[in-house]
Order: sequence, then structure tokens, then C-alpha cells
Amino acid sequence: MQLELPAFRAYRGTEPPRFASPAELECAKVLDYYDVPWEYEPRTFVLEEDEKGRVTEAFTPDFYLPEQDLYVEITVMKQSLVTRKNRKLRKLRERYPDVNAKLFYKRDISRLAERYRLDLAS
Amino acid sequence: MRQLGDALTLEYEGRNPLLVAPLKASLVFVTDLSRALAVAHELDFLELAGYDAAGPGIRLLKDLDAEIEGRHVLIVEDVVDTGLSLNYLCKTLRLRAPASLSVVTLLDRPYRRLVEDLPIAHVGFTVPDELFVGYGFDLDERYRNLPDLHVLK
Repeated sequence: MQLELPAFRAYRGTEPPRFASPAELECAKVLDYYDVPWEYEPRTFVLEEDEKGRVTEAFTPDFYLPEQDLYVEITVMKQSLVTRKNRKLRKLRERYPDVNAKLFYKRDISRLAERYRLDLAS
Repeated sequence: MRQLGDALTLEYEGRNPLLVAPLKASLVFVTDLSRALAVAHELDFLELAGYDAAGPGIRLLKDLDAEIEGRHVLIVEDVVDTGLSLNYLCKTLRLRAPASLSVVTLLDRPYRRLVEDLPIAHVGFTVPDELFVGYGFDLDERYRNLPDLHVLK
């Protein structure tokens, strides 16, 4: 999917981000609007390897907020996706206890976009 | 309100704090809080631009009237959620070299926080992920005048 990208101000990556979904793009716009520095998929975490050391499961969170030292994964509310992503986050925390990561729902982004109507982004 | 007022009265005794309220939802809270504070203090207001994905980024629509360099500044928020706009506000005000900067919020949703490093010193209520109207909170500019908080269904 080719999404039209605005000129981001708070993006701290080196390559232009290639968003996988409109929800990710909307989240990037929100972070940018609030001047919170962000990177897109800067790191892949190995979650499982087989006996020969080959990676069998990995996780690449969508965003990294360097000032918060926080990885953010965007999800829609579809329960199967939420369950799968929560499982990955749990594995991530078990294997990398010093890494901060959290799930951010697409619903929350929509609310952010409506801040002044619903007053939720404070 | 009395508990918050008592705690802040102890904390700001002799410091002549400046209470800074972002418009508009915190208006009712800051007026009640001001009346609950038993120390001399001043009030000031600012307003942030609403989210506009195509716009130039967050900015102040109305700036403070007071100079805050060397002042003890207390931001009076209606609700802290992701912390994005409060983070911007804190960064902006810190550039003006206040003697101290902290935050009191009526409502808090810490489980939705994206920005953790915020100087939140006092919280009225930690609330569930519900929408509120009344007591200054609006829906399309309606219901601010309701005297109590109501959950929007």
C-alpha cells in the first residue's frame, strides 16, 4: 500500500518511513503534531529461536519514541489481532525486561484526532 | 477539592504560585481549586490549538499574560491522558525558566500514557476509559455548565 506522506517534523529516522497501514500513518501524524520525536520500526526483537539458533519468531514494534524510551505497537480492536499482539508484547517483556513497550489502539488515535471535541489528548 | 487545596496550601506556602489553566475544560476546576487554596496565588490562562493533521503542529492560540521566569508555576489540567499536549506545554513553559513547574490534574488515565516523564504532583481522580461531560468538560461545547461530572454513554 502506497500512502502519501506529509513532511514530518519530529521523525528521527534516516530513511523515509514505509507505513503498513493508514492507522500507522495517522499515529505518526499525531506524534508529529505534538512534536514528540519518533522513529518507525527501528528495531526487530528476536522472540524465539530453534535449537540451531535460527530465528523462528520476531517482533518489530511500529514506533519508537526516543525521548520516552518507549516502543509503541498500533493495533485495531479486532480481538484476534489484540490477542496476538499482546502475546508478542508479553514475550518481548519476558525476554527483554528493560525494554518499554505498549499497545496503542487505533481507537485511541481516532480519539486523539478529536481532542478538542472530546478532550482526550491532554 | 478540599484535600487538593490543603495539600497545595502546604506545598506552596510563601511561594506565591502562578496557577496556569489551559482553556477551556479546566476553567471550572481551576476556579474551585483557587478558592480552596489558602495561600496567596495568581491565575493565568493559555489555549492550545486543536489537533489538525494538515496543520503546522501544536501551538499556543493564547499565551500567558504573566512572565514566569523565577515563578513557581502550577499547571491545572482537566485530564491527563496520553500526556502529549501536557508534554508540549511543559517543554514550552520550561524554556521560560520558572523556579518550579508541576501539574495538578482533576482526572487521570495513566494507563493510556504515551509520555511518562511529566511533573504530575497531584491527581484528583484516576478514572476509567470513559468520556466525561459537565464540570467544564464538553461535547461540542455543550454540557460544560453541568455542575457535576457525568459519564457520557
